[in-house]
Amino acid sequence: METDRKIILLADTEQSQQDKLRDFYTSFANQIKDKGLEDAVSLVRASDIGIYGKGFAVKILPRGIVYTGVKESDIGAIIDASVKGQGTVERLLFSEEPKQIRIVLRNCGVIDPESIDEYIACRGYGALKKILSGMNPAGVIEEMKKSGLRGRGGAGYPTWMKWKFTRESQGDRKYVICNADEGDPGAYMDRSVLEGDPHSVIEGLIIAGYAIGAGMGYMYIRAEYPLAVERVKKAIGQAYECGLLGKNILGTDFSFDIDIRLGAGAFVCGEETALIASIEGKRGTPRPRPPYPSVSGLWCKPTAINNVETLANVPYIIMEGGDKFALIGTEKSKGTKVFALTGKVRNSGLVEVPMGITLREIVFDIGGGMLGDKPIKAVQTGGPSGGVIPVDQLDTPVDYENLQKLGSIMGSGGMIVMDESDCIVDIAKFYLGFCVEESCGKCAPCRIGGYQMLNLLNGIAEGSGSLEDLDKLRRVALAMQRASLCALGQTAANPVMSTLRYFEQEYREHIVNRKCRSHKCRSLMTYSIIQDKCKRCRVCVINCPVNAIEGDREKGFFIDVSKCVKCGKCFEVCKFQAIAKE
Amino acid sequence: MAKLTPKDIDSKIAAGLDESGDWIKVGMSTCGMAAGAGEVFSTLQQEAKKRNLEVRIKKCGCQGMCYAEPLVEVHCAGLPDVVYGRVDKETAIKILEKHISAKTLVNDNIYEVRTRRQA
Repeated sequence: METDRKIILLADTEQSQQDKLRDFYTSFANQIKDKGLEDAVSLVRASDIGIYGKGFAVKILPRGIVYTGVKESDIGAIIDASVKGQGTVERLLFSEEPKQIRIVLRNCGVIDPESIDEYIACRGYGALKKILSGMNPAGVIEEMKKSGLRGRGGAGYPTWMKWKFTRESQGDRKYVICNADEGDPGAYMDRSVLEGDPHSVIEGLIIAGYAIGAGMGYMYIRAEYPLAVERVKKAIGQAYECGLLGKNILGTDFSFDIDIRLGAGAFVCGEETALIASIEGKRGTPRPRPPYPSVSGLWCKPTAINNVETLANVPYIIMEGGDKFALIGTEKSKGTKVFALTGKVRNSGLVEVPMGITLREIVFDIGGGMLGDKPIKAVQTGGPSGGVIPVDQLDTPVDYENLQKLGSIMGSGGMIVMDESDCIVDIAKFYLGFCVEESCGKCAPCRIGGYQMLNLLNGIAEGSGSLEDLDKLRRVALAMQRASLCALGQTAANPVMSTLRYFEQEYREHIVNRKCRSHKCRSLMTYSIIQDKCKRCRVCVINCPVNAIEGDREKGFFIDVSKCVKCGKCFEVCKFQAIAKE
Repeated sequence: MAKLTPKDIDSKIAAGLDESGDWIKVGMSTCGMAAGAGEVFSTLQQEAKKRNLEVRIKKCGCQGMCYAEPLVEVHCAGLPDVVYGRVDKETAIKILEKHISAKTLVNDNIYEVRTRRQA
């Protein structure tokens, strides 16, 4: 039943009040009525149509014409051209290619993650069937080489090389491991893939096992993801029932088993050698490499460890061919990357974009711009191992090499957007504090270096820092980078180093002027009462936890700086904005 | 479930995803659940039953628009596919009454409209 009614969607693409859209809606509706079209058209207000910062937008279905920057005076012209007639109003027309490409997230939000039938109906397990009915392991690795896929866990090592080395290593048994120990603050791409499309990761793991000659695979998932664990468990059960796991898969000689191991929440267990130790039942601490896991990994057997997102790419590459995959992206970074866009951005969520897109496009065109239209200050990528990219570098194309040049890394895909209310020292402190807490303590540079750097940062944030501290920070960071045992320690100083590189001025302000321009560093703030605005209501006096506000209704009230603990309570409770925060 | 043969996989892929009839998909990943997708899902099921509506209520994973969870995608004959965001109990009922029964879109909660199924 196809209705002839046209659907007109109206949306406000600015972050202004909904009331304006309601007025616009009313005048649109009136003009439609005036022209006697109310039966042929249904007019709807939408919250979001994927376009941002372009005034009022009008989308007319079923033709899919989009107008932006529409003023009330344009309504008549649009109705005449596109509602009554089949034409368009050229000057308002908006067209844009979609910025997102969905490969990893191809099934997320489309299929029921708990149904293997729906996964197969979306071409799932077709790649497994394809390799088992006519591709030898070398052929699979060759296809991966063509695709140019690089590990999505952070370091960006070519997947085909990892597989080739593991395949060529001698060993009576080999293993593949899916690293789903996602722990970066603000990153949750892997969780969404495991929850939304668990079979694609399982299929990727089986293919990896086939390619390297392994008979056993482990999914190492952090225990804080109960829903992901539940869905993966269910999916593995279904795959066994259907004969896609176990002995003689699809009637061939190939046998493969998968088991789940839960991580207890230690960040360091995302590092591959620590992860292996954890699966073996030992304490999760890294060991020196070489030997690399591809030579001596789980139970000293050759082992390939791949990230969730890497594995989710594999079935697509096998089905569609490595060449097609390699068409997307830049010269050295192929395919797409999923980012978890969070922070001070209007639309936080998961985005999957081709490599080579700029940060500006991600934040403004996909993310819808900054919350409250505040100016953007920086973007943090790569979690605690990454760095902060300042606003003047927003037009750099995102790929492994460029991000590294900027002092950050691709990482697993966390992307935190910051505005002027974020203090750079505070951010560096947060990430370093995270690494200090998560350091396993095995090697001295990470254990001691991180702690000392954090002390220096705390000093700067409290106003007791000196300019020499900046040099000390740099020296300790260098030692950590050079001498730490694993990537956690080697990269722990990155957030400090990259902020020092781009925002040294802000560090200096903390040290020299004892000022935090974002009002985040509590010790550097002073509260005072603006006498002109104060109505002497005593609300602040009643709420102050340390009785630091003195005076009376006649003379006015004052904050005793020596008693004030800078909790900010008075600032919050004052209804007349009479408390100044500096 | 019986073990599959390579032929089974081919035929299942050829058949494609069964998207016939009217259906509603609710994003039920952690982001959705945290925003209240569980309640929306059960409301849709109960209210559809009460009203004797022929509509399948399905679960799906995260679509990526986490800021607008809970997300509900509605496919209804004669209308484009619509993704509603920030859906609560009341909006869920409105979706059944207006979108499914009366074939008109619900105001103020639309986050995406897909035209691909429209010829």
